[in-house]
Formats: sequence, structure tokens, C-alpha cells
Amino acid sequence: MTYIVPMNQQLEDSTELFLRFSRRNMFILLVVVLLLGAAALAVMLTPSGRSWRIASQAALLPVAIAIIAATLSSYRGRSWNPDAPEVKLVMNDEWRRTNMLRASRTALIVVLVAQWPLALLFGFYMSLPSPRQASAMAASSLTLGLATLLALFLFLDRE
Amino acid sequence: MDNETLRNTLKVQRAMRDLTQADLAVMAGVTRRSINAIETGRMVPSVLLALKIARALEAPLETIFSLGPATASV
Repeated sequence: MTYIVPMNQQLEDSTELFLRFSRRNMFILLVVVLLLGAAALAVMLTPSGRSWRIASQAALLPVAIAIIAATLSSYRGRSWNPDAPEVKLVMNDEWRRTNMLRASRTALIVVLVAQWPLALLFGFYMSLPSPRQASAMAASSLTLGLATLLALFLFLDRE
Repeated sequence: MDNETLRNTLKVQRAMRDLTQADLAVMAGVTRRSINAIETGRMVPSVLLALKIARALEAPLETIFSLGPATASV
């Protein structure tokens, strides 16, 4: 028993650390999704404007991805190892899974409900040509769905 | 009419054994937030988790979880 208590304490501390790690990564992903979604919409809605010049800097994308991946993979000197017991515990945690399920259901409903207003916005109000209308709808639906999923999960999973 | 809800005595059972939420979480193989969510009634645990908690507390399941009126306070 004297050996179990320190091990439990260590696992508790590691689990808390990886919970914070997971929440931080979710928040970074939310910011990235919003930035990418906004950039994609800007490119699609103003093809001849400044946003095309930003889009032409696509060569920088791998560098940005590498920086984001490096940021996401470590937290306070600990790396995200999917085989570590504390990471498995966090990933299989019932409260976390329940919240993810709730968030994904709501995100699906939001995306489905948003299709009609988005179609009206891009098709009638902005009068975009069909290919750009479809692209804008796809980008906005993806951004909306992912942003809702991540934001709602972070909200439900708060302390 | 479904006016019953799951009630639990998790907090009392924990206190009787001088266990923290984090201790029980490790014993049941979940995070402290799951235990907190169950205690505060924000989450109904799966049968598997309920059984794991009962095993960790060495108490019969029905002494920890029971059905009660939805409006009554625990």
C-alpha cells in the first residue's frame, strides 16, 4: 500500500497535466480553424483583392503547419504519447467522451441548420457564381462545424 | 411519465473512506472531472463506470446509486 499511494499521486498529477495539455491543444486548434476558415472565405469572396496575394504565400503553409505541430506536441516538457497510461486515461475518460458526443451532435445540428441561411447569403445576397458559391459554402460549413465542436467541447469540459 | 433520476451517495461514501475525488478517480480509472461530474449530478455514469466505482469503494452498487424523484435534492 505504501508503494501504491505515491504512484497514484503521480498518476493524478500526470492526468491533470495531460487534461490541461488536451484543453490547450483544443484551444489552439480552435484558433487555427477560425483563422484558416476566415482566410479561405476571404480568398473565395474577394478573388481579385488583397487576399489572393496572401493566398499566393502558400509556400509558407508547411512552415506554419510544422510550428503548429511542434506547439501541439509538447506541454511543460511533456510530449503527447498515445501509449502512456495517463494519456489513455484522459482519452478514454467518460466525462470527456460524453462532452465530445454532446458537442458533435450540436455541431451537426448547427451545420445542418446553417445551410439554408448560407445558401441565401452566398447565392442570393452576394450573387456568387456557382463554383465559388459551393466553395464558400463548403469552407463556411467546415469552419462553422469545427468551431462549434471545439468551442462547445471546451465550454462543456470546463472545471 | 419519467420523473425519476439517478441519485448517488458518492460524496458520503468517499468521505467515509477518507478518499479525495482524485484518489477515487485513479482507483476507478477515470479523471477527477468524471467523478466530480457524477457527484454533482451533471453526468449519469455508464454501467461499467458505476461498477468500477462500486468496486473501488468496496460497496454494493445500490448503496452508491439509486433511483429517486427528479425534483428532490440529494
